[in-house]
Amino acid sequence: MRRNILVLSAIVVALALMLAAGVMNFAQRRRAQQASVQAMKMELVPDNGQPGTSTDAAPGSDPDTGMDIPANDMTTPLNGRHAPNFTLEDLHGQKVSLASFKGHPLVVDFWATWCGPCKIEIPWFEKLHDQYSSQGLEIIGVSADDLDKGDPAKLFTDKRDISDFSTKMGMNYPVLIDGQSVEDQWGGLDALPTTFFIDRNGKIVASTVGLAPRNQIEADIKKAIGSGAS
Amino acid sequence: MKFVTVLVACLFLLAGAAAALQKLPWQSSDTPGGGAGQQLVHFLYPQQVTVQAGVPQTVEMHFRIANGLHINSHTPRQKSLIRTELIVAEPTGVKIATVDFPDGTDFAFPADPSQKLSIYSGEFVLKMHVSAQRGDHLIQGALRYQACDMTTCFPPRNAPVAVDVIAH
Repeated sequence: MRRNILVLSAIVVALALMLAAGVMNFAQRRRAQQASVQAMKMELVPDNGQPGTSTDAAPGSDPDTGMDIPANDMTTPLNGRHAPNFTLEDLHGQKVSLASFKGHPLVVDFWATWCGPCKIEIPWFEKLHDQYSSQGLEIIGVSADDLDKGDPAKLFTDKRDISDFSTKMGMNYPVLIDGQSVEDQWGGLDALPTTFFIDRNGKIVASTVGLAPRNQIEADIKKAIGSGAS
Repeated sequence: MKFVTVLVACLFLLAGAAAALQKLPWQSSDTPGGGAGQQLVHFLYPQQVTVQAGVPQTVEMHFRIANGLHINSHTPRQKSLIRTELIVAEPTGVKIATVDFPDGTDFAFPADPSQKLSIYSGEFVLKMHVSAQRGDHLIQGALRYQACDMTTCFPPRNAPVAVDVIAH
């Protein structure tokens, strides 16, 4: 009799634990979903030539360009850390190491040809590169486009598409490819554009995920130039 | 005997504790903004359709895009954009003739109103024209898409699709 009670109790406890696990999982997922919705509480605007609503635009209206940039709370875990080194190929097949830029304030911008907001940001980087190059600023664009490494013909096309895109965009700074191969060490790169601002000592002093207002990008560049200066 | 009972009870407790800690395979992490595996588009229905054997039929496949996001239509306006595609394998006994995609809606990023895009948002329906031999067939595949919100784009992903076609 006692044995039966013991076994029954054990079964009841096990079932209760499983039920609790289910409830916990459900609650956890629900919280995450709510956070996700909260993080991107933006509504699509109809294409009527009226960009953004005042509430959407206000947090990120760009005084320089007049463009409306909705608020974006996403961030990377690398702020304040040393920039992870990488060696990637440029569009001419030359290996380029991040370490070779040490001593320069640096912007590392992860982008892709399929990324609309990246296309908005790239011309800003071109101008800012010209504007701050006298203070040592270097900018690197790292393409996160898929590369079909198993098929030489497709790989050639993939590289050519990136090259054509960067030419069309007039990118006046080094463009590296195969950014996906370093995404883990750079915080996952779950969303593009993702941009890191690095000081002369290789420390990440700021980062942005998603399109940031131009004045914020310029402020982060100034931070990278100012920080670590001797 | 008593020892065995206690052992069994302990095993049950351990199993329960493990269940509490374990994340099941379909419970991917819902990282705000889109973790690597998080689906931003979901196949809604139908899971099963009944059709007349040998007669061409249209299966309407319903999808939902997460709130606040959009994906490129099947005919985006720029070559570099990744179009939405349905990738399905034809099981033996099923012939998929064509898949009709809806027209996209015009959209522009607020930061660049001059660049018009062709997108889907909210729910959309694909029409798959199939004919099946008598029997039970499982059509499996994926919707390939690339999603963005107003400031950010997420890498291309494949949303799993499965429709059980019962032909009488």
